[in-house]
Amino acid sequence: MVRPFAAKGKKRKKTERYDRDDDGEESIASAKKAMVENEPDEQPENEAAEENFHELEGIPIVPKDPKSDSKAGVIFVLERASLEVAKVGKNYQLLNSDDHSNFLRRNNRNPGDYRPDILHQALLAIFDSRIAKAGRLKVVYVKTEKGLLIEIKPYVRLPRTQKRFYGVMLQLLQKLSITAAGKREKLFRVIKNPVTQYLPSNSRKMGFSHSSDKLVKVRTYLDAVEDDVDLVFVVGAMAHGKIETGYTDDLLAISEYPLSASCCIADICKDLADKWNVG
Amino acid sequence: MAKLSNLSSSNNDKKDKKSKKKKKKSAGPKALSMKVSAPKANPFESIWSRRKFDVLGKKRKGEERRIGLARSLAIEKRKKTLLREYEQSGKSTEFSDKRIGEQDEELGEFDKAILRSQRERKLKLSKSSKFNLSDGEDDDYFGSNSLGALPANDDFVDEVIPDDDDDAEAAETKKGAYHGAPYQQKGGLLEGEENKRKSKKEVMDEIIAKSKFFKAQKAKDKEENEQLIEDLDKKFESLVQSEALLSLTSSGNANALKALVQKSIPNEHSKKDNLLAAGKTENFNQEKPDAFDKLVKEMAMEIRARPSDRTKTPEEIAQEERERLEQLEEERQKRMLAPDNSSDDEDGDAENASVQKRKFVSGDDLGDSFTLDDDERNHKKGWVDEIFERKDADGTESEDDDSAEDTDSSDDVGGDSDDESEEDDKTHGRKHSLKDWEQSDDDILDSNSEEDDEASKEDKELDENHPKKANKGAIVKSSKSEGSSEDAKKLEKNTKRENKPELPYIIEAPESFDQFLSLLADCSDSDVILVIDRIRASNAIQLTEKNLEKMQRFYGILLQYFAVSANKKPLNVELLNLLLKPLMEMSRQIPFYAATCARTRISHTHQQFCVDNKNPENSSWPSSKILILLRLWSMIFPCSDYHHAVITPAILLMCEYLMRCPIVTGRDIAIGSFLCSLLLYVAKQSLKFCPEAINFLLTLLIAAAGRRSLPSQNPQQICNLVDLQALGQLLRIQNPTNEITPLDFFFMMNLTEHSSIFSSDSYRAGVLLTVIETLDGFVNVYGQLKSFPEIFMPFSTILHELALQENMPDVLRDKFRKVAEAIEAKTEEFYMGRQPLRMRKQKAVPIKLLNPKFEENFVKGRDYDPDRERVEKRKLQKLLKREAKGAARELRKDNHFLFDVKARDKALQEEERAERYKKASAFLQQQEHAFKSGQLGKGRKRRK
Repeated sequence: MVRPFAAKGKKRKKTERYDRDDDGEESIASAKKAMVENEPDEQPENEAAEENFHELEGIPIVPKDPKSDSKAGVIFVLERASLEVAKVGKNYQLLNSDDHSNFLRRNNRNPGDYRPDILHQALLAIFDSRIAKAGRLKVVYVKTEKGLLIEIKPYVRLPRTQKRFYGVMLQLLQKLSITAAGKREKLFRVIKNPVTQYLPSNSRKMGFSHSSDKLVKVRTYLDAVEDDVDLVFVVGAMAHGKIETGYTDDLLAISEYPLSASCCIADICKDLADKWNVG
Repeated sequence: MAKLSNLSSSNNDKKDKKSKKKKKKSAGPKALSMKVSAPKANPFESIWSRRKFDVLGKKRKGEERRIGLARSLAIEKRKKTLLREYEQSGKSTEFSDKRIGEQDEELGEFDKAILRSQRERKLKLSKSSKFNLSDGEDDDYFGSNSLGALPANDDFVDEVIPDDDDDAEAAETKKGAYHGAPYQQKGGLLEGEENKRKSKKEVMDEIIAKSKFFKAQKAKDKEENEQLIEDLDKKFESLVQSEALLSLTSSGNANALKALVQKSIPNEHSKKDNLLAAGKTENFNQEKPDAFDKLVKEMAMEIRARPSDRTKTPEEIAQEERERLEQLEEERQKRMLAPDNSSDDEDGDAENASVQKRKFVSGDDLGDSFTLDDDERNHKKGWVDEIFERKDADGTESEDDDSAEDTDSSDDVGGDSDDESEEDDKTHGRKHSLKDWEQSDDDILDSNSEEDDEASKEDKELDENHPKKANKGAIVKSSKSEGSSEDAKKLEKNTKRENKPELPYIIEAPESFDQFLSLLADCSDSDVILVIDRIRASNAIQLTEKNLEKMQRFYGILLQYFAVSANKKPLNVELLNLLLKPLMEMSRQIPFYAATCARTRISHTHQQFCVDNKNPENSSWPSSKILILLRLWSMIFPCSDYHHAVITPAILLMCEYLMRCPIVTGRDIAIGSFLCSLLLYVAKQSLKFCPEAINFLLTLLIAAAGRRSLPSQNPQQICNLVDLQALGQLLRIQNPTNEITPLDFFFMMNLTEHSSIFSSDSYRAGVLLTVIETLDGFVNVYGQLKSFPEIFMPFSTILHELALQENMPDVLRDKFRKVAEAIEAKTEEFYMGRQPLRMRKQKAVPIKLLNPKFEENFVKGRDYDPDRERVEKRKLQKLLKREAKGAARELRKDNHFLFDVKARDKALQEEERAERYKKASAFLQQQEHAFKSGQLGKGRKRRK
């Protein structure tokens, strides 16, 4: 018997910390302290050395504590991703239009709807962006066409090739979670619907659709949003149709043309990075 | 027991059976309906198992299992097993029904009957009944059975009658087997008759008869075969002789065929004809080999591949070249001898002498003549070595820096007034002591070379060579040199005549510069190259070890020769160009020596420059010789090296010239710009930065622009040596001209300092053109330098200024503008790329990423632990756990079931008891009631 969803959802033991990389840096910094003398330190014996560096007025030597200012983050929700596992022949495979067109046709499905590559591209666009590299990405949620909700941690190294990505997704859909290599931490996991319960309360939720009448420039639109508000972007990862979500504050179009998910995300990330002055 | 009961059942009367069957029929359907179709639809059984995910392509196997149904089925099963056991548990005996087909639920009543009758038949047909006399009645079966072999019968029955579970098929097969048995037995009997033992004699007889028969058969076959062959041969003969075949085959083949026929015929028939036939066939055979056969044989014998000559090593090539030249030389000598001997008496002596020299050595002529013979050469070496050793003691290289001055010393007498000679003349006195040895050589050679040009020999020769008579031993002479004695003169005449028509093919490497000069005494430019080539060929390094030394010496001499001819006025540019090739090739052969030569020369030049520069009145700009030598080295040695043993000092020297020499005359400007372009050439590949060249160009341009002082923004630039105003006059174009003469360096070098050309506007324009082109080159070369804007920005303003000058020719104006624009564009580019200095610049560090752990071709339920043992163990543990759980569950359910049964029984008992109690109590109550009511009612009446 398969355990029901509810049991899985409540099994969480610890709270997730998405700024995990920060303490990693801290540990590195503390390791460096021993070696580098000019590293700022609270310890009194180093203060003598520190004073030599305060000769230049107005130039701060102590770097900003990354934890001191909690910057606003960004959350992506990819709606209507087509992730479906089927038993093709003897083993289970992630359905895609390239490899399984005959199978899908035999089962009266439209092969054009099975496009996990869109999701892959979109995720790559997210995780390769500057904001992700700078640690401003908080989390990515993927909602499949079947209604499954997947949470992806921001520090995952996404497989670059499609085949490997499909492998990960296949395993995720069967095991319901993927751990990090060498750690027990879960990088991908299937979580309980709805997605709104995970979104921060103080957040601006924006949906993107070509069908929207509200054609805006991302940069100007983002400039209007306050700096300390978390941003939630809801983008569709499907081949046809539009996203229909009740929880978005706005439904925007960022181009006259219908854009691919990855392109749209790349645009958003670029403008966001410019706005936040990242890298 | 079961069997007995079975038998007894089948033993019953027909009537009994019928009645039984009826009974069974009545019972069968009921039982079937009870078991197979559930009597009433349990609503809970219709609930199907629910699925979490609908997975496409997955077989819907699990869905057939209805949990409710499964539960009720399990209960049914328990009823059959557990309940029975439970019921039996309290009992000591047991009734088991072992009738045929009774346990099988699927069989109908009719099927069961069929099975039973089959069993009966089988028993009847069994072996034991074989000997029984049949009464024609089936019923007697058992009676007869009891009469005969009863024990056998018992066994047989045991065997044949299958277990109750056996089905019809098994019975069928047994039956078949039984039927087949009698036939087999029959066959076996027949065989037994035939295989009766024969006696030995009979057997042998049989064998003999057989062998005889086979032999006769063979003989007969053979005869038949022979006859057949004969027939065929006859037919073939007739066929061959007929025209049909002849027409079909070619003549040769026909012959062959005939031969075959004729050969076969005599072989077969007559031995008398044998000899004749043999001869015939031989004849035919000899005729036979046709073209094709020949060809085949030839091809078989032919060599298929030849080894090619291996490629020759350089040593071998050199050797061959040398041998060829030797041969040519021999021929030449022969040719020389014949006419000379006959015609010329006067010269004959000398000629003879030269010939004789080869044969016997005379003391006088040892060093004089050029010869081939080894012993003579060795001897000569003894002479020359002395000198060379002396020379080497002074300095390994033949330096000819001073050759220029030396010529001047002689030229002064002749009244040659060169600007350079003047300046050199002043230093001459100083140098004389320093480079005495060189002068002793160079004096002669230079005068000689000049004399060759002037073709006025005799008088001067006498004058000049007179003093050298004294140290005749020291000066090396060759057969062609103008010796000190009259003999030598004679010889010279001879050699000249020889040389004109034909150069010697084998020329020994000259030991000294004089020797070399005398070799080249009368040669034209192309002959000079020819001579050099032949010297190189006949003394190739590859030939022997000794040649390396010789060639090194020769290289020094050649370099000296080059330098000397570079210093001549007018310059023989053709010759210089021709000399370049052998020099380059040789310096590739002996690179180390070449580099040493060059370095020594450079250091000497530098020393001399230092001395010259102390005197401000002297122009210390390099002479044409130095310039040309610098150019030569820049071509010989790689300019692309950042550090090079020759090029680096050469660059330093050039830069020093540009830096420290004051610009006084127009010629200085020409030399300076030549040096700049040379530096550009050198720096082009190594990308070395030469600030002096840039500075020089800037100075020239500023002067041309007519500014009084240097631009204020870069005061650090050193231009203190330059009088800008004076320079401006030299460079500023006074009148509008459109004519620009590109600077011809060699032409300039030939001019004197005060030539009117230097003050012409076209010259100025030419200088500006050269400068701007060099500058353009530098702009391109230094385009990568980070400090490009700082280096070249001063140029752009000046270039714009120059472009605005009214007298400037249009071509130059365009050039100025173009270069200025190029500089500005590049500067802009650099400014764009520059970023402000940042404090503690750190690279942005991306967040640390984690790799997801996943398997390729993930299969759910498979353990991906690499430790197989652990996987096995875990699997077993899992199985154990599952089994344990299953067993526990079963036990639990059994318990539940039993408890239910017990409870039901208990409830039943309770009910019974309650009923009984109720009954009893009712009776008692009635009694009571009757008693209390005073014996009224029925009872009373009855009693009565």
